Amino acid sequence: MSSPSNPPSSTTAHAFAARLQRWESTAFACVAGGAACTASLGAATAVAAAVLVVAGVVLDRMRRARDARAAAACAAFLASTDRVGHDVLPVWAAHIESSREQMESAVAALTQRFGGIVARLDQTTRAASQDGEQGLATAFAHSRQELQAILDSLKEAMASNEAMNAEVQNLGRFAAELQQMAAEVADIAQQTNLLAINAAIEAAHAGAEGRGFGVLAQEVRKLSALSGATGQRMADKVAVIGEAIRAARDAAQASARREAASALASEETINGVLERLRGVTESIEASATVLKQENAGIQVEIVESLVQLQFQDRVSQRMAHVRHNIGRLPELLARSRRCFDESGTLAPVDAQELLDELEGSYAMADERVTHAEQGAVVADAAPADAGLEEVTFF
Amino acid sequence: MAKTIMIVDDSASLRQVVGISLRSAGYDVLEGADGADALKKLTGQKVHLIISDVNMPNMDGISLVKEIKKLPAYKFTPIVMLTTESADAKKSEGQAAGAKAWMLKPFNPPQLLAVVQKLVLP
Repeated sequence: MSSPSNPPSSTTAHAFAARLQRWESTAFACVAGGAACTASLGAATAVAAAVLVVAGVVLDRMRRARDARAAAACAAFLASTDRVGHDVLPVWAAHIESSREQMESAVAALTQRFGGIVARLDQTTRAASQDGEQGLATAFAHSRQELQAILDSLKEAMASNEAMNAEVQNLGRFAAELQQMAAEVADIAQQTNLLAINAAIEAAHAGAEGRGFGVLAQEVRKLSALSGATGQRMADKVAVIGEAIRAARDAAQASARREAASALASEETINGVLERLRGVTESIEASATVLKQENAGIQVEIVESLVQLQFQDRVSQRMAHVRHNIGRLPELLARSRRCFDESGTLAPVDAQELLDELEGSYAMADERVTHAEQGAVVADAAPADAGLEEVTFF
Repeated sequence: MAKTIMIVDDSASLRQVVGISLRSAGYDVLEGADGADALKKLTGQKVHLIISDVNMPNMDGISLVKEIKKLPAYKFTPIVMLTTESADAKKSEGQAAGAKAWMLKPFNPPQLLAVVQKLVLP
């Protein structure tokens, strides 16, 4: 701790007064010496004595004039320091305060921006979690379900086609049976015709008595011929029907084959689409995960930078303490001037008082360290994160 | 429902920094610019924890703690002093007034959150 030293002006005033005193005693010594000579040498030396007295008076006036000049110089000096206190120091203090306020508002704005960024990142992450992964997974599952339903209905249509095909096959068998029955009708007609011919021969053998029977045989022959013709027509029609049924069966089988091929192709296409969709979904999910991780990383970075932003609070406090201390100096300078004006004595400015007040205003440990070391170097040595990890629970 | 924490500090940037840390952890945050402002804003609110600076204009942090302890609604609300003030005498004053913890600035946000989680009212 430095002890206050007398200001240079005060030292000069003291030295000046001491010199004046020396001159004064020299002058009086001369006057006394002159008087002694007068006594011993008589009237002849009276003139010389008078000259010495005059010289003493002149010296006294000079001393008074120098005193007055010294006092005026002291008053002027104190007035100038008072002006420094009133005019200069408030400007310094105002600059410090203005810088402090500017820094405060700039850092507050910066912090607000950081706050906005953190909030937006948070929203983005939440939105990505809700709509991104879950949304994509749901959409994929939904798509697969709907496409599967289309495949299922295609397969159902194929199954019903096969059932119809089987029915058509059955119809084909019925046609074959009908063909057989038509052939049997033709056969029966032919046998009936043979019987009628034999009956006609027997009727001819019976002569006139068998004539009526011969007429009957003739009619039976006609009927058998009609039956044969009907059987033939039936066979013809059944053949046509059989042909139509075969054609229908062939067409149905061809259609079933085409449908099966088409269903297979559809299934392959759908599976391909689902596979690609799954790929896209997975890649989006991976991107979302990376984005989320990046977001979280940026949030951590910002939160860590918040520690550094708190330097403003510390610097602001230090500047406020110094500004307040500077604000006290004009009063001390004015006090010194008042003391000289009122009593003519030079009162030193109490530096210790200022230092004690400054020390009393400190809140931070590194302020006290800087003060104790009295060095600006220590301020740099004090880490920005001084105080971290220090929590006391009561 | 999110819990509400009040931060009292005359530095707007410091309030912001604390606000960001707390909001990112899901807390609602109320701000007071000094002790008097904080007392005014506490009325009619439900606050689960108060974080306060010590050296502030209008009403300092220690006086604020004493005033809060007189309010029936906030008698048991935990108060954390967050300050650059490291003198043991001040700490003792804070403890005597009824503060629950003394934390030095600059603070580490995760550490502040840990203190808040430990002390916040259920």
